[in-house]
Amino acid sequence: MKERRTIKIFDSMVKSNSILVGFSLVLLFFFIIYSQNIWLFRTWLNSTRFFSSYETVLRSYNFDMFIIILIPLLGAIFELLFGERLSSNRDKSIIYMGFVEIVYILSIYPKVLAGMIDFEIPGIFGVGFFFRIDMLAYSVLLVSSFVWFYVMIYAHEYMKKEKHGTRFFFFLALTYSAVLGTICSGDLLAMFLFFEIMTITSYMLVIHGQKEESYKAGYNYIIMGLIGGFLILTALILIYFNFGDLRFSSKIAELENFGNLKYWIMGLLVLGFGIKAGMAPVHVWLPRAHPVAPTPASALLSGVMIKIGAYGILRVAVSYYFPSRDTITSINDPLWLSVNNIGAIIIWTGIITMALGAFMALMQENIKKLLAYSSVSQMGYIVVSIGTALYLGYEGATGYTGAIYHIFNHALFKSLLFMVAGVIYFHTKELNMYKLGGIAKKLPFTTVVFFIAMLGIIGMPLFNGYVSKTFIHHGITEAAHINSSFYIAEVMYIVVSCMTVTYFMKMFYYVFIKKNESEYADLVFDISSLDLALGSIALIIIGVGLNPGFVLNNLIAPQLLSATYDIGFVNSHILHMNIFNLEDIFLSLGIIIVGIIIFIVAKRYKLLNVKLPKWLSIEYLFFYPAYWLMRNICVLVYGSNCPYKKEELLKLTDRDTDKLGFIDRFVITTNVLNQRYEQSIIRSDALIYTFFITLLLIYLLVKSLLI
Amino acid sequence: MNIEQLPIINLLLFLLMALVIPLLKRKPFKITLILGFVVLGLVLISSGYLLWYVNNVEVIHYTFGGHEARFGIEFIVDPFSALFTTIIAGLAAIIYIYSSGDATEGIEKTEYGRYYVLLFILLMSMFGILYTNDLFNTYVFIEILSITTCAIISIKKKKDTYTSAFRYVMMNELGSLSYLFGVALIYMATGFTNITLISESIQNAYASYPVNIIVALGFMIIGLGIKAAIFPFHIWLPDAHSAAPSTSSAILSAIVIKVYILVLVKVLFRVFKLDILNEMNISTILLVLAGVAMIMGSVFAIAQKDVKRMLGYSSVAQMGYILLGIGLLSFEGLRAAFFHILSHGLMKTALFLSVGEIIYYKKTRKVNDFDGMGFIMPVAMGVFSIAALGMIGIPLTSGFISKLNLGVAVLDQNQIIFLVILIVSSLLNVIYYLPIIILAFLKNEKYRYRLKSIEPTPRTMIAPLVLLGVLIVVVGLFPNQIMIFIEAAANSLLP
Repeated sequence: MKERRTIKIFDSMVKSNSILVGFSLVLLFFFIIYSQNIWLFRTWLNSTRFFSSYETVLRSYNFDMFIIILIPLLGAIFELLFGERLSSNRDKSIIYMGFVEIVYILSIYPKVLAGMIDFEIPGIFGVGFFFRIDMLAYSVLLVSSFVWFYVMIYAHEYMKKEKHGTRFFFFLALTYSAVLGTICSGDLLAMFLFFEIMTITSYMLVIHGQKEESYKAGYNYIIMGLIGGFLILTALILIYFNFGDLRFSSKIAELENFGNLKYWIMGLLVLGFGIKAGMAPVHVWLPRAHPVAPTPASALLSGVMIKIGAYGILRVAVSYYFPSRDTITSINDPLWLSVNNIGAIIIWTGIITMALGAFMALMQENIKKLLAYSSVSQMGYIVVSIGTALYLGYEGATGYTGAIYHIFNHALFKSLLFMVAGVIYFHTKELNMYKLGGIAKKLPFTTVVFFIAMLGIIGMPLFNGYVSKTFIHHGITEAAHINSSFYIAEVMYIVVSCMTVTYFMKMFYYVFIKKNESEYADLVFDISSLDLALGSIALIIIGVGLNPGFVLNNLIAPQLLSATYDIGFVNSHILHMNIFNLEDIFLSLGIIIVGIIIFIVAKRYKLLNVKLPKWLSIEYLFFYPAYWLMRNICVLVYGSNCPYKKEELLKLTDRDTDKLGFIDRFVITTNVLNQRYEQSIIRSDALIYTFFITLLLIYLLVKSLLI
Repeated sequence: MNIEQLPIINLLLFLLMALVIPLLKRKPFKITLILGFVVLGLVLISSGYLLWYVNNVEVIHYTFGGHEARFGIEFIVDPFSALFTTIIAGLAAIIYIYSSGDATEGIEKTEYGRYYVLLFILLMSMFGILYTNDLFNTYVFIEILSITTCAIISIKKKKDTYTSAFRYVMMNELGSLSYLFGVALIYMATGFTNITLISESIQNAYASYPVNIIVALGFMIIGLGIKAAIFPFHIWLPDAHSAAPSTSSAILSAIVIKVYILVLVKVLFRVFKLDILNEMNISTILLVLAGVAMIMGSVFAIAQKDVKRMLGYSSVAQMGYILLGIGLLSFEGLRAAFFHILSHGLMKTALFLSVGEIIYYKKTRKVNDFDGMGFIMPVAMGVFSIAALGMIGIPLTSGFISKLNLGVAVLDQNQIIFLVILIVSSLLNVIYYLPIIILAFLKNEKYRYRLKSIEPTPRTMIAPLVLLGVLIVVVGLFPNQIMIFIEAAANSLLP
């Protein structure tokens, strides 16, 4: 019996949302033809009187970043004011705010292209704040604002099934503001400030479900985020002390004389931002936090926020650690040496990250977890590319391009993939892929969208991921030309790409294709704001894939030309490169075919359900020895009546890391120590006094009289 | 009236107020409160004026009874003492407003008057300690201070408060006597108790009686260390803090222990001077003490179940920060330490007062009972959160500026290991402050629907809390204006 399909419209706002989404796509279209000067559109527009007066107005002020940061804040305030009464008002204020943001960011393009926008607030914090929008910031702003807008449209529909929508949207808007602030900042202090705000406000998004597991994951998230913040703070103090200035400008000439300190500073910064970027080995928060957050939040966490970490690494690397343009004439300049060393380390961290993420993703059965580990793996690609951008020094433009381009692409397809997972959950309340199946029949549109995103992420030619992956690959091969040990990196890159194909095939097969007993009979084919968001991002993915020149020539090229890169090299290897080179196409097609074969073989022999044993976690490996030590010392000293509380101490041996995290174990250890020693320290007051005064006097007398 | 007499008038005002309170016993208590507030306001204005005066015109010297400094007692109002008296008066005024809002929790009604008498004597002695330029006179004021503190700790008539007050008195007597012993040894070697005169002859005395000077220094550091609750000598503090009423815990933690560390600063930088300190490598000793305090204070705080004890241990850790700045024996270090005295004063006051309000209404001090508290007492928990984030060192709060300055100061002396300790200690702060905030605002849904039944809190309790919250952020945003005075104070201590 074949059931007739009807299209149902549940959502009252779907009409206005469609108009807005349509507008945003049209704007993007005009933006593309303006920036690429298709049909001489730009020439024509520049010649009009309206446009020239518009440009004069645009150039008459320089506080654009405040407008950019304030728009979401205003949205948040409106949302609080009007959201109490009607949920559609609340959603409208958020969606319109996102739209205004897009319009504003698009409109300042001519200004950014003409030169960067600087703004300074002296005196605040005792150090002063500095903001800057250059082309690098602008590219990230552009992609973040688009992704954010579509996720807002999506969230409007999705959050109807969740509680506390007002709080969620409020913190979403605050996080947006912080993200934009991080991107616009022109010195490390401003970046640090907004970064911390982002950590705290996005925490509220992670724990939104308010279940026990979301608290656990959220605690992990915020603690790791704050640790990252402290690492950045340490680097900030080191830089501030040595330079008295935190602006993103070239400091390598002085840093060169610092010996190992320059590596320490960079290490702290990479690790600090890397925690947010999901870099191995500090990625542990990511696969926990992403699945428990509501889907819009996980789409944004994966789509935008972890990119901010990568952006941070890239920003500090190419500003502090890059020689300035006028001091460098060739690749052989000694200033590049330390940059190269740092780059090599970053490449290897990236390789480890991408391998680990892909390996873990293969074993997951929760689709959101799979996507989260996939994010880790893809962040590895970006990190590798940043590494090659540094390692290759004067000719590292390919790496730089690959990093930015992949940030761009990954923001698009990973947010889309998470939203697809959200749609599936929205309709079926199920995230385990082995229990799902047959979705393709029920939700054909969602399936097509997923397929597009998948083709994007596995690097299918003509889709967006192909271009960035090609650049990343070129970067690695160029590095391998210099140092042959990077051939291993290249092999790893190919293996990980195959694994990417495998785990996406796995997800695609189990969720969409495989037959399922429970046919989800009540699932109706509907059109809602969810599909609007999915469709528009899928369109952009195809558009970017078919027209790679847009991102390359109009967003990345100005950055490359102003950064300290060899202009001849940039021209020959990037701007005038044949992207659809046969060799590259065959490589990516080969990767895809091998990936599919691996999937078929692994499915046959049931290799996809292997699980790692639980004791193989950092928590257990770290605290079991601590437990063992404390216990045995205690038994040694007191014999059988050891005064530690046994049940507390025994918790340390728990193998389940989901139940007891690192911090919990640490707290238990301090509790045990406290119970044992606090009172005895307090009671031995006179003893401590005598002991210390004797010690001090002996030390002083010996020190000054005898020596 | 001569400007030189202003510091004496400050002291006299406090003393008079303490005398007047018992006389007003039969009048409504409100009169006492208003009068006390007027006194505090006057003192705040006059210390503020003095701060301006000494920074822009000249340092004020005043000798009692016109006696020469070597025989009589000399008061000096310089940027150092003027700055800290102003800070103390300001914090005390905020705490005073709060305590007038009926938050003298656990004190019997008939004891109210006594509480305020003690408070004003406490303030008088702290002003005296800061103004005086005489080591023995400092000792006298220290004794007044510790005895009044003891009386305040034991004002609640309960058994455990007596034990903790007894422990406090014993430990602090050890401290005072050690200090006095140091003073005596210095007097023996130099023949003076006036700080200026000692500092002129300390080098000669050190050359001829080195043992005297060394032993004096050792005893004074340990003695004042006990009173300032530096780590291994902090033992009296957690009990005393949890026993005292919240307002006096705030005064103890935010002001009183700071005064002792300021005495230590005076002793180190004005009496012994940098040459002797460097020769004896005092810097290392202080830094080791500070590092241990910063870590161990926080470790013990993590394990506390009682929120006031937790805050007490947190103070121990924060005293480590201040001692770290002082122990660097440099301008940057002093500057960072002084700023942290102010910023910790603000944050710890805010923490104790907001916790005090919660204890007052909810009659609970267990950390685990804080779930959903953010919905019942939004203002109290909001200010608590701001202050706790400040303790962690999140930017936009004054705590961040403290950390930044301390970090720079540490690097300036090439003590990079202490930068690591600073960061680790901040991380430990996260571990015990953050769960409380999360618990209060995000857990226990059952209170969410009681938003309309927010407890009626007197405005006199809410206003100071809000003021503190705002001040923490303002100081965090615009530290430069205050930094001018702090730098002048640090400069007045260094040659």
